[in-house]
Amino acid sequence: MAGKHHARGARELSAPALGVVMNLPMISLLLLVLAYPVVYAGYLSLHQVGIAQLRRGVFPWNNWENYTRLFDDPLFALALKNTILFTVLVVVVEVILAIGIALLLNQASLWTSRLARLLILIPYGVPPITNGLIWSFLYSFQFGFLNRILFSLGLINDPVNWAGNPDTALYAVAVAYIWRTLPFAVLIIHAALQGIPRELLEAATVDGANAWQRFRAITLPLLTPVIVVILILRTSFAFAVFEEILAITQGGPGDASFVAAWYTYKLTFSPPNNIGMGAASAYVLALLVGLFAIAYVRLIYRRIA
Amino acid sequence: MNARMRRLEAMSRRDVLLGLAAAAGGSGLLRPDHAFAQAAGSWTAAPSSKVDKLNFVVWTYGDIYARIAKQFESDWGVKVEGTISSFNDHPTKLATMFAGGETIDVSQSSPFSFPSFIKQGMVEPLDGLAGAADYVKDFSGFTKEVAVVDGKLMALPYFAAIWVWNYNEEMLQKANIAAPFSTYDEFIEHCVKAKKEGHSRYPVLWVAGVGLEQLPGTWYALTWNRGGTFFDKQGNHQLGPGSVARETLKWWANTFEKGLDISDPESLKVQFTTSAKAFGAGKNLYRGPNHHYGLNVANDKSQSSIAGKVKVHGFPGDGRTIGVAHVYFLSSAHRNKEWAWKLLQYLGGKTKDGQYAQAINLAKDAMLGSGYSSVMQSDAIRNGWAPWGDVDAILKMWDKATYIGTVVPSLYEPWHFPWTDQLNIEVQKCLTGQITADQCCDNLIKGIADAKRKT
Repeated sequence: MAGKHHARGARELSAPALGVVMNLPMISLLLLVLAYPVVYAGYLSLHQVGIAQLRRGVFPWNNWENYTRLFDDPLFALALKNTILFTVLVVVVEVILAIGIALLLNQASLWTSRLARLLILIPYGVPPITNGLIWSFLYSFQFGFLNRILFSLGLINDPVNWAGNPDTALYAVAVAYIWRTLPFAVLIIHAALQGIPRELLEAATVDGANAWQRFRAITLPLLTPVIVVILILRTSFAFAVFEEILAITQGGPGDASFVAAWYTYKLTFSPPNNIGMGAASAYVLALLVGLFAIAYVRLIYRRIA
Repeated sequence: MNARMRRLEAMSRRDVLLGLAAAAGGSGLLRPDHAFAQAAGSWTAAPSSKVDKLNFVVWTYGDIYARIAKQFESDWGVKVEGTISSFNDHPTKLATMFAGGETIDVSQSSPFSFPSFIKQGMVEPLDGLAGAADYVKDFSGFTKEVAVVDGKLMALPYFAAIWVWNYNEEMLQKANIAAPFSTYDEFIEHCVKAKKEGHSRYPVLWVAGVGLEQLPGTWYALTWNRGGTFFDKQGNHQLGPGSVARETLKWWANTFEKGLDISDPESLKVQFTTSAKAFGAGKNLYRGPNHHYGLNVANDKSQSSIAGKVKVHGFPGDGRTIGVAHVYFLSSAHRNKEWAWKLLQYLGGKTKDGQYAQAINLAKDAMLGSGYSSVMQSDAIRNGWAPWGDVDAILKMWDKATYIGTVVPSLYEPWHFPWTDQLNIEVQKCLTGQITADQCCDNLIKGIADAKRKT
């Protein structure tokens, strides 16, 4: 009997050990596709890396010089400033619009909301670079639809140079970006709204709460965890905005819409291909996104507590 | 056996004989025509080694690469694969492939990227390859400036171009302007008149989109025509207070919104071809100086509403302008040097029949100039360009063109590329009124040291 127990024990793993074994394939995969590139980029950021070095696989150590030069570059500071401005604008507008649209979509009794639920998905299906090109046509100074519509409505007398004016270029990109990414936030919030017990809202109505009070006291607090998720995801994606910049402004005019990802791209992929410094720039960007995420979680959950 | 040894072993007896013959010809042991005949044979000779395929990495231009690849395959039975991207994306694409360890037989470069490519070890010298020396003898002045680096042959020409102006003849007549401008003051007068009388809201469309020779090229050409340069022969910048470049920028910026408001705002976005297409909409009187071959778009009925009415115009004063040559090169990441050289010749030299097939086709189909003197002097240019513009006028302007490297000698330096990135930003800020021309030039002077540090 004891022998049987022993044999069985040798074959069966304990629950914690089994958990580790079951997770190993996924951990290995994540290490391979996520951790390795991240660590490798960190390694590159501390070395002198150009095209020739990358091909040979030999990188001279250059201490923290990539980071020193990065922080000495006023263009990097401007790119970070533009990125933060862009991100704050995009995320705030998206969250507000997403809540509003999701509340409207949640009116199940209206046939228009069912149609809108379908239509809202369309922008999300548009590839980012295509979205950028569509909006660059819309914004075209002399031939763009936007100016034509505004002119037809009598709202402007002269065409507006949306993407070519340093005062409006970054905002023009932000509008194009929000148009594409808003459906994601709408869908998540709409799903969360479906999960709010109807009894809570009905009870509040019985107690005399108006629509705004029901939203403030019940809906919004229950949406908070979802909003945190949206804030984290949207912030990290908005920080890395690239395709719309490439298609609409290419960082211009001048440096008016130079953002961090565009800066990293130019540094890395334009001659003289300073890949080490590009990696350092990407690392700083990732660090900032991480800090934003931690700040969101702490701030919002502290308020809930 | 290392790669170098394998390449040496791959050299055939025929190559050695051809090399000896060429050397004998060069030293006068044979009559010159005999020497040429020997070297000419190298175009018809098949390399002794074997490859299953070859590839090139180039930027797009119509279907020229599909055609030349097909011809190569037909002549030699070797498949040619192409990786084709846009002009602005090409350096990125090439660098990424090279860094990723991919095999690249032949590629191409603008003169602006080329020094950086050489410095990064991406370019294989061509000296000593069969027939190479004969190509050099036929190089035009522009081509030599780009393709011969420190006395070594590094490339064969893709095309050559000069900067010219265009004007809308129909609009000029409607505005009762007898002839296009002959001075810069007259240019301003014409534009102000055309705007005031309602012929054009924005009479001039500049080619000022971000790029290596779009926005920078316009400033370079205007400055050179007014007698200035950007660096002297010793490498000292010529951007200080009172410099021609600085004064030219002040004049140029004044044509934009914050000044006379005669410049089309689209100028800051358009590239070579897009500017020609935009001009073809017929809304501007003048198109700022850019590559001469824009005429083949602006005068193409399928692309332009004013086809046939777009005329070429030279620079004011003594008419001096700038020119450029782009090149094809043999990549150091090639799979087989002698076959890669064969393919390189199909793109930038002669095909099996001894013709400059690609250069002639480019002249005919795309109105491009050639980097070879013999092609420029041939009927291929005269007949090929005739449908698009006044060939005699363009060739006269060609005679007054100076290689862009004389105006901006920094382009021979690897730091020119990052400095140009800054130039694009600063000049666009100046043209949009965010900074003055003085601030722009001061920033660019500071930027020279930064660009040098980056490389």
